[in-house]
Amino acid sequence: MLTMAEAVREAMSIAFDERPEVFLLGEDVGIYGGAFGVSGDMYHRYGSERVLDTPIAELGIVGAAVGAALSGMRPIVEIQFSDFTAQAMDQIANQAAKIHFMLGGALHVPMVLRTPQGSGTGAAAQHSQNLEPWFASVPGLKVVVPSNPADAKGLLLAAIDDPNPVIFLEHKLLYKIPGRDPVPEGSERIPLGVAKVVREGKDLTIVATGIMVNKSYEVCEKLAAEGISVTLIDPRTLSPLDMQPVYESVEKTGRLMVVQEGPAHAGFINEVIAQMAGSSSFGSLIAPIKRLAGMNIPIPYAPQLEKAAVPQIEDIEAAAREIVKNWR
Amino acid sequence: MPKMSMTMETGELLLFHVKVGDQVKSGDVLFEVMTDKIDMEVEAPADGVIETLVGNPGDVIEIGKPVLIMLTETEVMAFDFGGDTPAPVETAAPTPPPVAPAPVVVAPVVAPTPPPVAPVVVAPVVVAPVVQAVAPVITPAPIVAAPVVTAPKIVNTSVKAVPKARVEAANRGIDLRTVHPTGPDRTITFSDVNSAQVDPAVLKRQAANKALIAKGIEMTRGIAQASFNRRAHANFDHAQLISAWAKVLRGRPDIAVHQHVGVSLIIESKYGSALPVFRDPDLISVEELRTLVSSTSDAAKNGKVPIAMLSGGTTTIFDLTTYSMSSVTPLLFPNQVTSLTIGYDSESTKNISLTIDLNICDFYDGALLLDALIASL
Repeated sequence: MLTMAEAVREAMSIAFDERPEVFLLGEDVGIYGGAFGVSGDMYHRYGSERVLDTPIAELGIVGAAVGAALSGMRPIVEIQFSDFTAQAMDQIANQAAKIHFMLGGALHVPMVLRTPQGSGTGAAAQHSQNLEPWFASVPGLKVVVPSNPADAKGLLLAAIDDPNPVIFLEHKLLYKIPGRDPVPEGSERIPLGVAKVVREGKDLTIVATGIMVNKSYEVCEKLAAEGISVTLIDPRTLSPLDMQPVYESVEKTGRLMVVQEGPAHAGFINEVIAQMAGSSSFGSLIAPIKRLAGMNIPIPYAPQLEKAAVPQIEDIEAAAREIVKNWR
Repeated sequence: MPKMSMTMETGELLLFHVKVGDQVKSGDVLFEVMTDKIDMEVEAPADGVIETLVGNPGDVIEIGKPVLIMLTETEVMAFDFGGDTPAPVETAAPTPPPVAPAPVVVAPVVAPTPPPVAPVVVAPVVVAPVVQAVAPVITPAPIVAAPVVTAPKIVNTSVKAVPKARVEAANRGIDLRTVHPTGPDRTITFSDVNSAQVDPAVLKRQAANKALIAKGIEMTRGIAQASFNRRAHANFDHAQLISAWAKVLRGRPDIAVHQHVGVSLIIESKYGSALPVFRDPDLISVEELRTLVSSTSDAAKNGKVPIAMLSGGTTTIFDLTTYSMSSVTPLLFPNQVTSLTIGYDSESTKNISLTIDLNICDFYDGALLLDALIASL
């Protein structure tokens, strides 16, 4: 069983083999094999022409990638921590996302920016953020958040194919974990913009992103043993967002709970709530929509506080139990 | 914004005759309104102080929406008497000036003491349909206090219910205010509505009426109507008719959609048709009602109807006898279940036509109502 880090490496390797214009650049992605070991031995397999170690200068790294993409290459950028994308935000939000539109569609930017995100590693406030809404609120960017190795492989291959800039957000805690399903052999793509119904139930619909899909899955298993059946939906791509399975599920269950790691205030998952509230499926709700999200605070350093700042399995379980019990 | 003509939906505020802080007497002109048919001065329904001007000249305001807010003595009294309406603290509340120098006719059902101690609880008087009938003043006619029988029951309109409960309640014709909430924060859950009991008689009636409607009864804008005609003697005036009709309707609370009976009489004037409403007219003597009808008709013909009489109609009377016409296309105003048209028949007889809303009552109800009316005339 491949871990997420191995699945991502496999996808990059397949793309390297398929297309000579694909290359990887970033801090320590070469000889060191990546801060989280994702690129691993790729430097040795593909050489320094295609796996480029860069200086510590995020704006320059992304700027170089945007330029390469404009001139026919398909760069994969790795930014060591998603927090550091702040340094590169002009290239991401103002250049990569906009050039196609500013030039009347004459050029496009087929770049993938991969970056690890999230809390749980004791790395404190500047290395632990979940910045999904930063990217999801910029038109022109596609945003992918894989929750397991199999999805990560298929989605990354699709992201590399995509003519638009794609932000690919990998959760640090998932890198070393094998998925529930084996990673398929071969080079099959998973199309961007198609949500996945992870499991089906009749009492509650949970929409969760990234690592929260895994935590919610454990809750679903536990509740199933007690006769509470839950539909779990993983949007997989935040932009574009596929709401159709959510509507269809809520029409059956009547209850919706959304879970994300990032802060609740202005978080991405609020978009799911807003679209549900404005849809014709709204009339199917038999319960107020429940949101579980991170606290509106910088991620604390102390391990107990870091844990308390984002939803944990017990929180999801308690909330799910309560919504099903209280609203009938 | 009062409804001043049959077709009126909005009115354009032309100008204010008052400003914030003005003390006004009942009958003083507050503002002027232009509608598609009629320009009218709107008068103060009671003595009071202008608190806020809500609209601006030139605004087009929907009927029922506030134009200005007036504090009345009754409102201050409600506070003094510890009424359950928390009155705003008004340090500059006007001391009640002595009112009603003219003879005051108070309906017997009201507390026998004359105003200002009438048990009328009026929240800050918004000049809009919710205004409780406070002495409509028509100078120089004597002041007549419109009868106040029961204060309208304040129902809790802020019902909390989950979306699907609302959908289900709407589908099954359940009034959510009648459903006991078991959800958190007294919210009505889906299962609350599911287990709600609907009066079987209501269901039966609705089902029967639906069947009739399906059979192709005349449908106008979603309203299914039926009309009944009968000849009656011509020996009655408007006061007698209004009183008798109100009595008949009061005897049928099962088809009432309001807690009072408000008879709206269409009065023609050079400014357009006015529709003053006589509230619970069967609870005062016919003599008193006759004085009120006569003074109101005179005022309406001059383009002035007291604002308190411009709302609260539950039925409408349209008298065509002066035109020697026998009938008219029946019409029902929104939220009204019945309307009467009086037409010319002969020197000694009139033709009375009743229109009913079949969503609320059936053919036999219509026949019985008309029968009862003619028997009591």
